[in-house]
Amino acid sequence: MTTTVDRPTERAAETRDEPVARKHRTPLGDVVLGIWGVAGLLFLFFPVLVIVAYSFNTGRQLQSWDGFGLDSYANAFNNPTIVATIQVSLMAAAGSAVVSTILGSFAGVALARRGGRWAVWLVALLGLAMVTPEIVNAVSLLPWFVTLGADWGLSIFNLGQVRLVIAHSLFACAVVTFIVRARMAGLNESLEEAAADLGAPPVQRFWTITFPLMRPAVISGALLSFTLSLDNTVLSSFVSVAGSTPWPVYVFASLRSTLRPEIAAMSTVMLLLTLAVLALVAIVLSRASRKTGDGSGLAQTLAGG
Amino acid sequence: MTAVATAPPRARRRFTGSVGLLALPIAAWLVFFFIVPFGLILWYSFGEKPSLYVTHSNDVLSLARYVEALDPAFLTTFWRTTQIAIVGTALCLLIGFPIAYWMAVKLSPRARGIVLALVLVPYWTNFLVRTIGWQITLSPEGFLSDFLNGIGVLNGPLQVLYTQQAVQLGVVYNYLPLMILPLYVALERMDHRLLEASRDLGGNWWSSFWRVTIPLALPGIMSGLLLVFVPLMGDYITPSVLGGASGSMVGQMVAGQFQRAQNWALGSAMAICLMLAILLVVILFGVLFKLIGVALARFRHLGDLDRAGAIS
Repeated sequence: MTTTVDRPTERAAETRDEPVARKHRTPLGDVVLGIWGVAGLLFLFFPVLVIVAYSFNTGRQLQSWDGFGLDSYANAFNNPTIVATIQVSLMAAAGSAVVSTILGSFAGVALARRGGRWAVWLVALLGLAMVTPEIVNAVSLLPWFVTLGADWGLSIFNLGQVRLVIAHSLFACAVVTFIVRARMAGLNESLEEAAADLGAPPVQRFWTITFPLMRPAVISGALLSFTLSLDNTVLSSFVSVAGSTPWPVYVFASLRSTLRPEIAAMSTVMLLLTLAVLALVAIVLSRASRKTGDGSGLAQTLAGG
Repeated sequence: MTAVATAPPRARRRFTGSVGLLALPIAAWLVFFFIVPFGLILWYSFGEKPSLYVTHSNDVLSLARYVEALDPAFLTTFWRTTQIAIVGTALCLLIGFPIAYWMAVKLSPRARGIVLALVLVPYWTNFLVRTIGWQITLSPEGFLSDFLNGIGVLNGPLQVLYTQQAVQLGVVYNYLPLMILPLYVALERMDHRLLEASRDLGGNWWSSFWRVTIPLALPGIMSGLLLVFVPLMGDYITPSVLGGASGSMVGQMVAGQFQRAQNWALGSAMAICLMLAILLVVILFGVLFKLIGVALARFRHLGDLDRAGAIS
């Protein structure tokens, strides 16, 4: 009896002591950790800030600072080549988003609702598509498009836009699949079952129950595919054909001559576009998780969890 | 009652039976545009470049392209690439782990979300543009050079750009978020009470770290290493922007065969070599981690035995 009485008081004493002890002990470690974390964030932001700052350079060369001004923005938007590459990029991004979202949403539902031996293989295939170095994908897609377009006479594969959409969709459809799967796995099937019990045919069940539930994942998946496509450089520089050069390929090519401040100016505009899209993704996902109480976060999905 | 109990499973089976078919389009898409092209370059790698104006021919099959690919120039670049990739992955882990730990354990949930967003923003910025940011910074006539000269650390222009060190810095920077994210996810999932329990049971900071935090973070560490190492080995952008001649990597050699030399047979063989090397290193890492896991378990077991012995 005495022990049972003793123990709580002992524990109470411990817990009362502990915060004090910890307060004495932890500050140094925590401060160091905090400094490290903040320094890490500054490190991650550093070159982005450099680009934004240098987009206001009025000099002729990007690297050597001349003066502050908005000339480069005006020059960028008045340069027909730059504007054309941006148009190519935006169209390819939209196309890739549509293709990846359709393919990925279907696959995500299938994986979440019905496992099985094939599911392991599909996940392995998607994982492989995500981790294979881009350069290997790029050098293998180029001969394949040439084979399809020139040797087999399927002229659709000679179109730069088609090639870009296909190339960009390979990684993005895997991302969409994992986002949709994470979303669907967090929701139980009782609503679909209830609809089935009430006699709703499968197609109606899908559009009235399943799709509204997966919509946030589909929207964020589409937006992420869009930004992924906008950023893609390696695949684009191999598969794109003359006349449909996307923006990153133009930047990459101008590295060999001189980098002009216009590049930084347009990159800043594209950065703002990407940030706006990401903010939309964050809003859609957080609203969805608040509604259903399911916390399948963006980082978790991106990290493949 | 039985009717109610049996109806849902039957309905579900009918519904989900067709659901499985929804995975077919993506599988077909990936096989046609990912697996088959890879098979194609595998096939080309056994061929040759017959003449100046033809990119490839498979009339004569041989392993000669692999022999040609593994010449001293390629092996030098290959060794440099492996070196940059291993050092880069290790640095990402060393730099990224404290950041992820700080985010997951020390921050309040609200601050966690904001900091996570801050990590994601540079990650979603164009890879090429971020790397150009470093090129501006490191260039001999750039602001960092002027600043270092101004405070007297440096005498003369900064000579870092177009060296292996510049590439090393660039890859650590470019792949750091890919290390932080999986580590953060693993550490965030960790039950923090376990750390407190370990401390309450008399464990000091060091032993709680090795015996609680590290084993729980191991899946995150492994996926982080994989996510950083594999794309880093094939990186093509970072060395092109920061490397110059002395910091070139294998990705550029493969690209060169396809874009400039127009020798698809040799380029394919190089790409296959790269894939095989990556696979080899990943398998080696996997075995190494298994051994570390076994060693950790053994160590823990021995420690427990030791303590038991000391008590009795």
